[in-house]
Amino acid sequence: MATSRNGARSIPQAAAGGSLPIVILVATLIVGTAALLPLVQNSLATSTGGNISHLEQQREDWQARLHEQEVAVAQLGSLERIEREAKARFKMVEPENVTYIQVDVAPAAPHKLPSRYLPPEDSSTGSGSSLIDDVFGWIPFP
Amino acid sequence: MAKRRFRETWRVWAVVAAIVVGFVVVIGRLAQLQILEHDQYAEQARDIHYGVETLTDRRGAILDRNGYPLAASEAAYNVMVEKRAWTDAATAQAAAAELAEITGVSANEMVETVAQTEVFEIPVARGLHYQQAVGVRALGLSGVRLLESSRRVYPEGNLAAQLLGFVGQDNNGLTGLETDLDSILGGNPGSVTYERDGLGRQLAYGERSEIPAQPGANVVLTVDRYIQRLAEQELDKAIQDHEAAGGTIIVVKPETGEVLAMASRPTFDVTQPLVDDGSKQALYRNRAITDTYEPGSVFKLITASAAIDLGLVSPGTWWNDTGVVHLSDWSIYNWDYSANGSQTVQQLLSKSLNTGAAWLASLCGPQSFYDYIARFGFGMTTDSGLSGEVEGRVRTPKTDAEGWSAVDMATNSFGQGIAVTPLQMAMAVAAIANDGQLMKPQFVKEIIGPLSRSEVEPEVVRQVMSPESARTMLDMMGVVVDGYTTVDVPGYEVGGKTGTANIATENGGYKPDAYISSFAGVAPLEDPQIAVLVKIDEPKDVPWGTVVAAPAFNRLAHQALAYMNVPPTEEALVASVDN
Repeated sequence: MATSRNGARSIPQAAAGGSLPIVILVATLIVGTAALLPLVQNSLATSTGGNISHLEQQREDWQARLHEQEVAVAQLGSLERIEREAKARFKMVEPENVTYIQVDVAPAAPHKLPSRYLPPEDSSTGSGSSLIDDVFGWIPFP
Repeated sequence: MAKRRFRETWRVWAVVAAIVVGFVVVIGRLAQLQILEHDQYAEQARDIHYGVETLTDRRGAILDRNGYPLAASEAAYNVMVEKRAWTDAATAQAAAAELAEITGVSANEMVETVAQTEVFEIPVARGLHYQQAVGVRALGLSGVRLLESSRRVYPEGNLAAQLLGFVGQDNNGLTGLETDLDSILGGNPGSVTYERDGLGRQLAYGERSEIPAQPGANVVLTVDRYIQRLAEQELDKAIQDHEAAGGTIIVVKPETGEVLAMASRPTFDVTQPLVDDGSKQALYRNRAITDTYEPGSVFKLITASAAIDLGLVSPGTWWNDTGVVHLSDWSIYNWDYSANGSQTVQQLLSKSLNTGAAWLASLCGPQSFYDYIARFGFGMTTDSGLSGEVEGRVRTPKTDAEGWSAVDMATNSFGQGIAVTPLQMAMAVAAIANDGQLMKPQFVKEIIGPLSRSEVEPEVVRQVMSPESARTMLDMMGVVVDGYTTVDVPGYEVGGKTGTANIATENGGYKPDAYISSFAGVAPLEDPQIAVLVKIDEPKDVPWGTVVAAPAFNRLAHQALAYMNVPPTEEALVASVDN
């Protein structure tokens, strides 16, 4: 009886002794993991923020280079430079006489404005556009 | 015992009362701060905790009619240095030395700039190019950052400087079209609001809201860079050849009123305007619209147009030139004091007889004469949209009943005693070339926004005279030019009229031995594509428009017509090529 009583007492003790640490451990792990979540989230947010910032910087750099190239193209095409190059490099001179020649060809088409100064043909951005499109969509890749 | 208890009770109550009063005061003060003055302190807190920066996007480009940029913007960078980052002299000198290699600004100057400032951060170098900015960024200096802005560049140099104008350091237009089109070119500024720390720096995880800036629209002008350059070259040549003080050339497309070129001298360096130099201010104004002059004999075109359109005369109508017209106490003579006897209206225009012009005006009568002057647009602005445009001065019996006399009409008939702007004169001649229809001068052809584009349509002001009368005038202008040896555009028939006028002074009277030589021409006569006004101020050698101004028109018309693909009218000059 006594044995059985002792045995009856020891079972719950063993059960309690075995499960409580596990429960505490599991609970600690859960709480610890939960506590880490904001850290992970913060880390992810920082990383994403850094990436966005980096991409924005890249976009601004590309934009600056694009504008600089546009200006360089304009300066290369300036009348003063063309005349200077024509005279200096190609030894061209002002014409003394002009001869008009009648040819049987259609007149040249009117000069069109360069596309870089025109608004984009389709300005609407679809809701399904990708992040890459959103970020780099403004660059006029051929 | 009772007395002692009472004393204790009194003391306790006194303490309690003091505490209660203290609490009431504190609560009252809290209520004042947090309820009554809540908005004020909340705003102060916001100001401390949040920073606001204005964002600007790229300023729109100004393009010529074919899309060549006359003014454009590129990114520029200012190097900003935090004062507290350069408190240590050795650190500051080392950082400045590294920056100096890239920016070209002396290290000592940068250190001194930062040392003297009282603000959080200050620019030590401005307007860096992209590659320089990359170099600065690569240095990774503490307390040094790049602030992006933009720089206005003029790829064609000083072409059309007064018309285009320039912008200030804040990228706002200061003169010319840069000012007049500022709201279009400048776009809409945005702003970014962010949470900041005690040093004013943006918090990494703080609140941030951004209203993006909208870029400015590109503006396409009616000006053609090639014709503009031709006009400026011919103007410079005429001024140099005749040692003149200045001048103006305007080229207009008669059918639409589009201004293809507008050049004035003296001019300035648009790439480096000296805004602080007061003596240079006069150079910035667009003299084609801000300055008036007495047009002289060119104005006989207007007088003849009025008389012909009223049906009073025709080119072949005869008139007797006695060489003088007496009005009250005044006598009017021809420019060469000649008396030519029987002359036709065509001859009076060809010989530019003042007496003949006075006779035509007297035939019209004051009411009709001044009515035509007004219909041609004199005495009022052309509504060009350019700031600073003046109306000119026309004294009529209506506007100055007491001061006006018949002599005024006589002198006005040959372009004296009347003040007009070069643009008014050019548009009037363009009206003759456009079947008598006066157009509004057009400078903007198209506005291209980030999402849309809108074209500016030509505007008719009024029908000044009948198309038949205008055609008659064109033919007469052609005959006038036949008599000029200085005007001969191979392959094209052109028409025009010269003018040589005195220069009125501010005190009344005329400047001695100083003249304005001008020529107003149209080409080709059959189907006018350009109307040109050449005005040369105070030539030193000879004053005559035929010698000073007409050659400039001749060369300009010759090259402009070929450039515009206008076929020559004289078949003899055209060689056929069989394909």
